[in-house]
Amino acid sequence: MRRRFGRRTRQAAPSDGGRRIVIVGSPNVGKSLIFTRLTGAYAVVSNYPGTTVEVFRGWAHVGGERYEVIDTPGMYSLLPVSEEELVARRILLSDRPDAVLHVADAKNLERMLLLTLQLIEARLPVILVLNIIDEAERLGMAIDVPRLERELRAPVCATDATTGRGVDALRGRIEEYVSRARMGRH
Amino acid sequence: MYHVPGWDAIEASLDRIESLLARPYGMSGRAVALLLLQGDDEIAGIVGAAEPEALEKIRPIVAEAQARYDDPLPYIIAVRRQEEASRITRAVLSRGAAPRVGFAERLSRIMMNPLTGIPLVLLILYLGLYKFVGGFGAGVLVDLVEDAVFVRRVNPWTAALAERLLPWESARALIAGDYGIVTLGVRYAVAIILPIVATFFIAFAVIEDSGYLPRLAMLIDRLFKAIGLTGRAVIPMVLGLGCDTMATLVTRTLPTVRERLISTILLALAIPCSAQLGVILSLLDGHPLGLWVWVGVMGGVFILVGALSSRVLPGEAPSFYMEIPPLRLPRPANVLIKTYSRVRWYFLEIFPVFILASVVIWAGQMTGLFDRGVALLRHPVRWIGLPDDAAVAFLFGFFRRDYGAAGLFDIKRAGLLTGRQIVVACTTLALFLPCVAQFLITVRERGLRTAVALSAFVFVFSFSVGFLLNKVLVFWAVPL
Repeated sequence: MRRRFGRRTRQAAPSDGGRRIVIVGSPNVGKSLIFTRLTGAYAVVSNYPGTTVEVFRGWAHVGGERYEVIDTPGMYSLLPVSEEELVARRILLSDRPDAVLHVADAKNLERMLLLTLQLIEARLPVILVLNIIDEAERLGMAIDVPRLERELRAPVCATDATTGRGVDALRGRIEEYVSRARMGRH
Repeated sequence: MYHVPGWDAIEASLDRIESLLARPYGMSGRAVALLLLQGDDEIAGIVGAAEPEALEKIRPIVAEAQARYDDPLPYIIAVRRQEEASRITRAVLSRGAAPRVGFAERLSRIMMNPLTGIPLVLLILYLGLYKFVGGFGAGVLVDLVEDAVFVRRVNPWTAALAERLLPWESARALIAGDYGIVTLGVRYAVAIILPIVATFFIAFAVIEDSGYLPRLAMLIDRLFKAIGLTGRAVIPMVLGLGCDTMATLVTRTLPTVRERLISTILLALAIPCSAQLGVILSLLDGHPLGLWVWVGVMGGVFILVGALSSRVLPGEAPSFYMEIPPLRLPRPANVLIKTYSRVRWYFLEIFPVFILASVVIWAGQMTGLFDRGVALLRHPVRWIGLPDDAAVAFLFGFFRRDYGAAGLFDIKRAGLLTGRQIVVACTTLALFLPCVAQFLITVRERGLRTAVALSAFVFVFSFSVGFLLNKVLVFWAVPL
């Protein structure tokens, strides 16, 4: 019954064993802009199976490798409250990402770290992306990125997705991270 | 390092749970254990399916851990994580000079202060919605597209083509009749909905990118709490003033089923869309007191029904926290891209619904169900003190909200309506069933049963309000 009226019937693409980057983070931190910066304009929008939550998928080339990039609905915590968060977590746990970009609002580091800590605890391959860094700087905030990397034992990147600042560095970190993980595996 | 009293005991429980887990779950055993301690049903389900005997042993560990604390475990765990986050933040973050209170900050305060904020909302609604969407989109652009493209070209061509190719009258009516697929369905979607929705999305993107919406949400949060919603629902409600069908789609962004249902009810009942608003405002033109009565009744119904449904519907009152981003000047390129992708998304969602609607109308006319519907509607229309002709307007109102109001407009021009009747008719029609597209989207988002129950309620409710309003206006002999 529900499918009858004009619903797009494309489903989420099945996992195909390719390389995969998953973008997570709370709403309104610029996840979609990071997604667009990495993938270019083209994205496939599909409903996550069995829900009305929409998931964006696109493709990015990083260091000569092709990655499927998945932009998840906003999540605040690994313990889900809304359907969106549930879907985001399912994607995280079932899609076996090579890198998880936690896009965070640099202005609210403390609140954002709550999710970062959970992702690290879950031993997911996290890269913390401190987005909207220009606004944080405008407010007079300075974040010691190397120190933060040592504290978290995870890579951290400062970006401003509206202007594209730091996105190339982010690509570099992804490449580094994935190839190191691969070395570790062999 | 951790200051949560008794955290060691939780660590011990985590270790025990972790050692019981043998299967991989896409994340570390510790994370699974933490989620189980926090009572995560989905994870418990997954573990229970993979290794039921482990889950049986884990359950008492969770209960035992909880028994040690007065506060719920998720709270304890959140506190401990918060401490870690605070510690790291203190280590890495330094703040320079405190930002001075600039123009943006002052404007931001003006927006959130009820005294100045509410007049500002009204001003923004007036300029953005009434002038830009209503006047420019629904007026200038619709006239342009409808007249230049459909009335002059597409409709005559389709009619001529159907005349030549289709020998059956009924088939011609389906394609090119008054309510045909091309002449009504396609025309309505392309010539009316598209310009209105495009201008609406432009206005909405500008408002959204400026950072105004979270401030509006804060301003309105307290009022919305009283009706079981939070400031978050401000987005579907504002969207509803543009198009209720689209707003009903957007209710899926609300976090709880309860909030989604309350918003769907309010959208179906008390939020008139821009197409309707345009015609209703012109109907009430020349009746300033009538306009205020109309605004008062709609506002009263919005609050009353919201408050009632939040009492009746089960579920907790939602909590709301929204971050306030800084005010920014919207970038034209971002606004255009956003508008384009939204219009495209919306158009693809809505187009088939309009085609379907014209098929339904066609079937209704062919089978004579339509005439019977009009005959039936005459009774409630009489109860609320309106002439019989208004029944047709009400029936069409279900298929095109604005068409219903436009039907009244014709009756008014013929001099058949008094001031009181106009006010009663406008109120009843604005409350009356949503258009068929919104109904179909409600079916899709909330399920068939809810949609039908909702429509039945709206039907009875709108005529009851019309009936009462008519009685009250007659009783006090309000000069309208």
